[in-house]
Amino acid sequence: MHIDCTINGNERTFEVSKTDLLLDVLRRDGYTGAKRGCDTGACGMCAVQIDGEPAMSCVTPVVKVDGATIETIEGLGTQDDLHPVQQAFVDNSALQCGFCIPGMIMRSKALLEENPSPSEAEVREALSDNLCRCTGYKKIVEAVLDASERMADRGVAADGGRSSDRGDDCRCAGATGKTGPDSRGETRR
Amino acid sequence: MEGVERDEPQAADAEGSPMEWDEPANNRKSRDERVNLTTDVEKDDARKIVTGEAHYTADYSRRFPDLAHGTVVRSEVAHGFVTDIDASDAEAMDGVYAVVTPWDDVVPDTLYSSSGQSYPEPSPWDMRVLRRHVRFVGDPIAAVAAETSEIADRAARAIDVEYDEREAVFDVGAATEPDAPRLFADDEVENAQSGADYGRNLESHFEGEIGDVDAAFDRNDVRVHETEWETPYQSHCVPEPHTTIAYTDEDDRHTFITATQVPNHTRRQLAHVFDVPIRDVRVEKPRVGAGFGSKQEMAIEPIAFALHLAADRPVKLEMTRREEFYALRSRHPMDLTMRSAVTEDGTIVAMDLYARSNAGAYGTHGMTVASNVGTKALPLYPRVPNIRFEGDVVHTNLPMGAAMRGYGAPQGHFAVEAHVDEVARDLGVDPVEFKRRHAIRKGDLDDVSTILKDDDRFARRIRSCGLDECIERGMDAIGWDDVEQPDEEHLHRGVGMAMCAQGSGVAGKELGAAKLAMNEDGSFHLHVGGVDTGTGNDTMFTQIAAEVLGCRPADIVVTSSDTDITPFDYGSYASSTTYISGTAVKKAAEDAKERILYWGSKLLEEPEAHLETEDGEVYSEETGASVDLEEVGYEATYGHDEREQIMGDGHHSTDESPPPFGAQFVDVTVDEETGEFELDKLVYAADCGVAINPPLAEGQVEGGQHMSLEYATSGDLEFDDEGAPQTTGFRQYGMPRTTDHPPMETLLVETHEPTGPFGAKSIGELPTNGIPPALSNAIRDAVGVRLTSLPITPEDVKAAIERRGERT
Repeated sequence: MHIDCTINGNERTFEVSKTDLLLDVLRRDGYTGAKRGCDTGACGMCAVQIDGEPAMSCVTPVVKVDGATIETIEGLGTQDDLHPVQQAFVDNSALQCGFCIPGMIMRSKALLEENPSPSEAEVREALSDNLCRCTGYKKIVEAVLDASERMADRGVAADGGRSSDRGDDCRCAGATGKTGPDSRGETRR
Repeated sequence: MEGVERDEPQAADAEGSPMEWDEPANNRKSRDERVNLTTDVEKDDARKIVTGEAHYTADYSRRFPDLAHGTVVRSEVAHGFVTDIDASDAEAMDGVYAVVTPWDDVVPDTLYSSSGQSYPEPSPWDMRVLRRHVRFVGDPIAAVAAETSEIADRAARAIDVEYDEREAVFDVGAATEPDAPRLFADDEVENAQSGADYGRNLESHFEGEIGDVDAAFDRNDVRVHETEWETPYQSHCVPEPHTTIAYTDEDDRHTFITATQVPNHTRRQLAHVFDVPIRDVRVEKPRVGAGFGSKQEMAIEPIAFALHLAADRPVKLEMTRREEFYALRSRHPMDLTMRSAVTEDGTIVAMDLYARSNAGAYGTHGMTVASNVGTKALPLYPRVPNIRFEGDVVHTNLPMGAAMRGYGAPQGHFAVEAHVDEVARDLGVDPVEFKRRHAIRKGDLDDVSTILKDDDRFARRIRSCGLDECIERGMDAIGWDDVEQPDEEHLHRGVGMAMCAQGSGVAGKELGAAKLAMNEDGSFHLHVGGVDTGTGNDTMFTQIAAEVLGCRPADIVVTSSDTDITPFDYGSYASSTTYISGTAVKKAAEDAKERILYWGSKLLEEPEAHLETEDGEVYSEETGASVDLEEVGYEATYGHDEREQIMGDGHHSTDESPPPFGAQFVDVTVDEETGEFELDKLVYAADCGVAINPPLAEGQVEGGQHMSLEYATSGDLEFDDEGAPQTTGFRQYGMPRTTDHPPMETLLVETHEPTGPFGAKSIGELPTNGIPPALSNAIRDAVGVRLTSLPITPEDVKAAIERRGERT
């Protein structure tokens, strides 16, 4: 069967079977940012936004997103132009192995859209379905609070900071001292 | 002291390893002199992670259009022999490429150990790729490769297995009884470990002693204290489940893209199991979604390879969360007995620790984890003249224990650090002061860490120790001397502290190597065997190299762990990466720097001795003249009279393993009526030497406390009477969530370890050791009861309070 949905602003049609889950469809199509952590909706590593709401894609039947608007981590900022939530995770060292981070960021973004200036307790409550094994959560909670302040200070760009084309000004860091650490990622596998 | 057989250890000029260390001149830098160390260098993969562009093993699937998906068929009985496997229905299904069973030619019958350790492994070879003799619910029996994972799962369910079921044993005590069912026949194990007695299901027995412990306990001027302790299974809960893609490429390379901490050990073991030359196996480590020791194991690669051979196409084998909980690896449950003999003036004259470990069905890391129970915690007390440590490692028909962050030290610290606290309270003295009086200091010769060895070659001279400062600053941060009690009469607040120690690599049993090559534009490629499992080691490697080369970390591209490309490394475990692999990186950078100065000398026409590197250039300390690294690179590569690519090699192995130290503090409020307790605050003060990257080091401390908190309060695996797992998902397992975490404070106490790269020691495992004893101590402080079994639950606390009430 076919389903139509909008993913990160692009209208898409997928050939799926009735029993397919959203996570499988996304990953098959190259949206591998959402991770498979448990297949039971219990860890949050596959979190995306469906019609603005955070959702566990590993337990969402794909037929349910027919006509829906889906946002995944790939639709936020680029390495050279990060969304404020992404930037806050980087600046607060709020990541280690990174496997839970796309889900954490999608959940955090959904929280901040609904509640732009949450208290620490509200951040903890909102993220309580997203597990992280590496960080002890402290820096993650700090990052979300930091992102909240950044977004209040700057206002959110209408496009969520995704306009610049990824990789445009990304050069291998040379000895010229002109490129920052931002340009690193492309050189690695 | 009478009856003291052991030298006072703290004398710096005593026999054994000297205090003085021939430290290279460039190894010690004041904070002002550090350019790339201890500054906030961004984690080098941070941007890839937050944009979802970081690729883990499963994300490589799209590279293989003909990829097959694997599923493992696992034993449903705890003990028995597989007599028949009927896979005909499965094989007939559309989309099924192959089914493999123990009887297939592509499935070797070779015995091996899955532990990724030095060679020969200090673990028994007691495992086969697929098993006819099954020893726990979850043992792999067969596997399927199919077009999709759904088809593979459906086919796996269609496979019929017949068993000749045998009696199983789940209790460690019962397992060593003479009439207990036997898990291993003599010909089912090679490379057996010391003290093994498979007739009694004993994988290993070991013991060691310093001084004369029995004589000390017999003294008539001592009081003997004895406590029994119990610790549970703990799951690694790795975010990324174990995943492998196995294929053979167009150059006949048997290649594994695999989530591993030990690429080189895995390569060797795969060659052994499949009887192919080591050189024909290639293990590539992509980004790894954490390991915590669970990926210091060749847990699934052999099954993936057998499926690949049978299906003749690339195979991806990805574990489910369910399998992660019941069929892979966990922390060993243990029971421990801790005794000490203490004089009336409060001097500990003897300690005696016994640990019995439940290895589960196989012996991976069994002996080595159990031996670390004593050799990590007991060295905190080098002033105790008589120390004994003894252990038994016992097989049962439950899932296998293996390496897990802390590696036996959490079990040992629980027994030792809570026991000593209790001794102090019995004596009526302040537990912290009591511990400080006996605790390890800079200059001590730590021979307790060698208690199980035949020679004292590895006795550690403690050249850096910030333990006392950790305690001091931790006490301030937790408000030790000023604990305000709640207004409600049934609520009581208490504070507890535990000292912690670990090692930095395995003394005498490590090797790290690195290669550095300069590009013509003055940038560098660093190839290193050391594995970054998410802790930030790749970033730290670039910082160390940049500090030597006088460039920026961003000018160095790291390739970490592809056995066809990167040099040998024992892998990322035993808190070795910064200390061992990091030193190899430093040496490689120094080697390259020599050539940079040679070329700088040609360009500047000044002697090399006058030259130094900094800010991306070579400059003369005499004249101030300078030349960019870029010019050096171009001149070396395209020069008129001679040419070379500037390269550096570094390798490091050592008998040293300096312990990092720490102090864990817990502030708890206990409800005396219900037993419920709330952690008000956690403070961890850590001495990891010089922190190469403080935010990453703090992250290690915070994450370590997360695991330690779980171990202390919520983590455990449960089984029914038949050995079937009851904990198979995050919903049953008590992994702390954001809302379960109390406020945490991390203090990095800087010392300088002269044997480490720029003064660094390790930090990865140390903070997993503290909360169980510190919480037990805090509850004791609050309501006067001692909790001796983990996880500590409100019901346990309530029961202990009721028992206390009965006694008085």
